Amino acid sequence: MNGSKTATTMAKPAAASLLSAWKLSKSYFAGGKVTQVIGDLSLTLEPGEIVSIVGPSGCGKTTLLNVLCGLLIPDGGEVRWRGVRLAGQPPDVGYMLQKDLLLPWRTALTNAMLGLEIRNTPRAAAESRARAMLDQLGLAGFADYYPSTLSGGMRQRVALARTLVNDPAVLLLDEPFAALDFQTKLLIESDTAKLVRNAGRAVLLITHDIEEAVSLADRVIVLTARPTRVKAIYEIALGEDRTDMIAAREHPRFADYVRRIWSDLEVARS
Amino acid sequence: MNTDHAAAPSTSARSVDVQTLDPRAARLRRGALVVVAQITLLGALLALWELATHGNKEATFLFGSPSTIGEFLAKMALDGSLWRDSYVTGLETVLGFVVGNCIGTLIGLSFWYSRFVSAVVQPFIIALGSIPTIALAPIVIIWFGTDLTSKIAMSTLSVVVVAIVTSYKGALGVDPDQINLMRTLGARKFQIFRKLVIPASLTDIFAGLKMTVGFALVGAIIGEFMSSSEGLGHAIFKAGSLYIIPKVFAALVATIALALILTYVVGKVEGWLMPWRSND
Repeated sequence: MNGSKTATTMAKPAAASLLSAWKLSKSYFAGGKVTQVIGDLSLTLEPGEIVSIVGPSGCGKTTLLNVLCGLLIPDGGEVRWRGVRLAGQPPDVGYMLQKDLLLPWRTALTNAMLGLEIRNTPRAAAESRARAMLDQLGLAGFADYYPSTLSGGMRQRVALARTLVNDPAVLLLDEPFAALDFQTKLLIESDTAKLVRNAGRAVLLITHDIEEAVSLADRVIVLTARPTRVKAIYEIALGEDRTDMIAAREHPRFADYVRRIWSDLEVARS
Repeated sequence: MNTDHAAAPSTSARSVDVQTLDPRAARLRRGALVVVAQITLLGALLALWELATHGNKEATFLFGSPSTIGEFLAKMALDGSLWRDSYVTGLETVLGFVVGNCIGTLIGLSFWYSRFVSAVVQPFIIALGSIPTIALAPIVIIWFGTDLTSKIAMSTLSVVVVAIVTSYKGALGVDPDQINLMRTLGARKFQIFRKLVIPASLTDIFAGLKMTVGFALVGAIIGEFMSSSEGLGHAIFKAGSLYIIPKVFAALVATIALALILTYVVGKVEGWLMPWRSND
């Protein structure tokens, strides 16, 4: 049985990790006072691994994600991508939020092509790759639809296509399925798991949904309240096939993980 | 939106009752009702005006009447002055509108590039915007002469500050998360500007365009008031000086028609440039 280890026993991450954060700290200056959001946080992400991060609301998960992909610069500590200290934006990261952030003036297809277009991929190649990705996500007939005519689940699928079509080694997901209804969420989670695991991509998933965290991830990192640090880490073992979200949720150990993480969060909140 | 509907067998589609409410037809009917109500209201107002002034020479002299205004419109249309004046004022307005909005939008959007520059320039823009255009008219006439150029300049001045403010507001309104997304996709600042900021600002820019159609027209007419030999402003000013009030109204009708046509064209261009919005 995999147990939790406390953060303090963690060794400095090996330089070879796909993504590693070491002793990160970050503060904000707002309303005339400095608030420390991240305090001494370390974590690693290995190739092909799915890691979920859960924490009490307002604990700075989104700030952490933005630091990891170079959108914010940490006050202390360092972020390394493949052992190299991060400067600017990492080249092969996919970033996806709860908001789909689709451009309303672009169709599903041209939205999915956005990243390729920015990287000056020839148009024909970009179009066929984006089309193929939309097909894989079940949006074959909707390539020429504007986002305003698509449902929430479909819009989030287009956002996922836009992320995956760039062939990122790491996906940073910030509550990407939180706004979806339960059924849509399970389906899109399963599709994401399939596409990510089959391609050997690594995922860092921020979520407040413990069941989502456990069912998707190989590892769940529980954060403390602000200034946030790692409270506990759970290795999740729910069988061989981790692409079926229903099966994962029906696994005998599932409820146990959820309950233990839940009680960790309860303690963190107080 | 559901794929299941597309796959539904045609027999079930045929069995659907023809009487089912078509939302498009309902919308058309409501639109037609609005137009009918508008025409009725206009007709009632004109009838009231006609009745109140009918057979009363003094009232007709002071307030005009729909019939005398109509007579003047017909006369002006026949001698060609209506078309010539409308053309001149229309040309001034369109050129001033285009020049003012191009300059203003360019400046407003470029402020997005540098928070520092925009912060420095902001109070100057607001100061410029607070000057009534009419106060600038004498200087504009001295600088640009009494022909077409000065009217275009007046029209441009009436438009440019509004265009700066609305386009800058649009550029600032871009969702920071969207900018972050572009950055994680590897976009450079210019790519973010071109692929995100400009299209995202179009809604605000067009709101500004619709507003400035009227301003451009007012600018052109003020220019014509100051000094001119043709144009609707000239016609209004001249007829007013000669106490031919129905003719003033006739020229006003032409001015209103011009404003409506220009607003309609801007709306059409908006729909054409932003096809995704017609789906809302």
